[in-house]
Amino acid sequence: MTTPAYAAISDAPAEDRLAYAITEIARQSPESIAIVRSAGGDGRWAITYSTLAAQVTALEAALDATRPVGIVARAKRIESLVVIAAACGRQHVPVAFLADDSRDLSGALRDWIEVDDSLELPPSAGRPRLEFEAISPHVVVATSGTSGPPKLVEHSWDSLLAAARLAEQWHGLGWLLAYDSTRWAGIQVWLQALLTGGRLVVPASRDPDTVARALAEESVAVLPATPTLLRRLLASADRSVLEKAALGRITLGGEAADGPLLSDAQAVFPQAKITQVYATTELGEVFRVADGRPGFPAAWLGKSLPGGASLATRRDGELLVQLSRDTAEVGTGDLVERRGDRYEFTGRRSDVIVVGGAKVFPKRVEEMLRSVAGIAEARVYGLPSGITGELVAAEIVLTEPLPASASPESIRAAALAICRESLEPHSVPRILDIVKRIATTAAGKTPRRPISAGRS
Amino acid sequence: MNVSVSEAIAAAIRTVLHDTGREAKAIEPTMLLSADLGLDSLDLAQTIVLLERSLGIDPFRSASGARPAIRSVADLVAVYTQALTQS
Repeated sequence: MTTPAYAAISDAPAEDRLAYAITEIARQSPESIAIVRSAGGDGRWAITYSTLAAQVTALEAALDATRPVGIVARAKRIESLVVIAAACGRQHVPVAFLADDSRDLSGALRDWIEVDDSLELPPSAGRPRLEFEAISPHVVVATSGTSGPPKLVEHSWDSLLAAARLAEQWHGLGWLLAYDSTRWAGIQVWLQALLTGGRLVVPASRDPDTVARALAEESVAVLPATPTLLRRLLASADRSVLEKAALGRITLGGEAADGPLLSDAQAVFPQAKITQVYATTELGEVFRVADGRPGFPAAWLGKSLPGGASLATRRDGELLVQLSRDTAEVGTGDLVERRGDRYEFTGRRSDVIVVGGAKVFPKRVEEMLRSVAGIAEARVYGLPSGITGELVAAEIVLTEPLPASASPESIRAAALAICRESLEPHSVPRILDIVKRIATTAAGKTPRRPISAGRS
Repeated sequence: MNVSVSEAIAAAIRTVLHDTGREAKAIEPTMLLSADLGLDSLDLAQTIVLLERSLGIDPFRSASGARPAIRSVADLVAVYTQALTQS
């Protein structure tokens, strides 16, 4: 697949690169599949690079004729989002991707034009027009709102593409899109897949069996996921289907992974190289760890990492990142703790539950609960209390089938007993509910606050 | 005394004792929460969350200002009975 023209993709200006890659790959192998939608479900649907390229060209012509000040991508279909991004980039038109929970932020993008799945521009009479050279093309993405309400963040195409791997070993692979396609993490996945002539595989739903079928049937090679999504896949999907998947790589991000998850994943996918990526919407990718252990080497602190970032900790354990010498040090909100030769993540500062003045790290309690035989998944959160400020509450999902001679009640009692033995009294869950499934946030993470009234 | 309220409170306290690995006993209105039942503030906080689920109210979270001391099971019953008649 590497020809001089293909190699030139990385030489193109960042904002041109996606459109350039799609048209170039369409020219070389027009019938190769760019995107598979509804994978693993009924109504599987695929689009080729040549069809995608034709849509990019058509939208570019329309953008060139009207020169809008910006485009808000309102499309629901993944291929429309790709076409809008590619065309806007090469035509120097700023583009915004707004997830469902950030739709009301579009008021900040006054005069921007909305484009939906029809990929048509509304009549532009009376609209302000901007010349090609007058604006710097950029991309607006909403943060996931893990730590506060979603907000709009403006990125250059250079920063958006900074983490994309364009070397030959990445060419022509199948990528699973488990993330929301309008968020930073999801955008990274589809950009990566389409810049490298790959096949983007979008599962029909987040149901673990559907995702497992998508992995196996579409020969997915790379699975980017949050630890929560991977844990659910390993805990709930049909193992015989999962083991048919030929994953070469699992890229974890968005949350910290724990040791048991990393070793479980390696056992189910022995061929897969498992990488943990530390990135935020604001900073982009900061570092990756690929040694199969949680956290990162303690020796990294105070050193300049590949990519130029350097790490430090605040006195309370918050991880600080300085992206380069000439940028300011930024607090990440993530708390780390030294354990032997590693720094491990203990949770987000905003996730800390305060019970009678004492701090509880939900991640640690969740790990304790998941270590109990018969518990597949756990979520720990704080419930407001008029007596102690907050109270530790937890939801657990039991394994199917249950371990021999265990009952839901015996597993619940065992979980409480183990927590009592191993945790400080204020960290022991006081409310422990057995649920069918644990909700995830739109970004595929485990929520740390009560959902509705805290009950299902 | 409101029977359903006192039953709900007794059930909640028994759950707290059971969940924390202590022996559940017969709960009498005159019993002192701390001295007789051994409930600490975490136990009380759990009791109140359980009661919010069974009775639908949390009188300790909504109201502000001075509150009479809650020392006995009967004190707790009185707070909930009053809160339920007001709601």
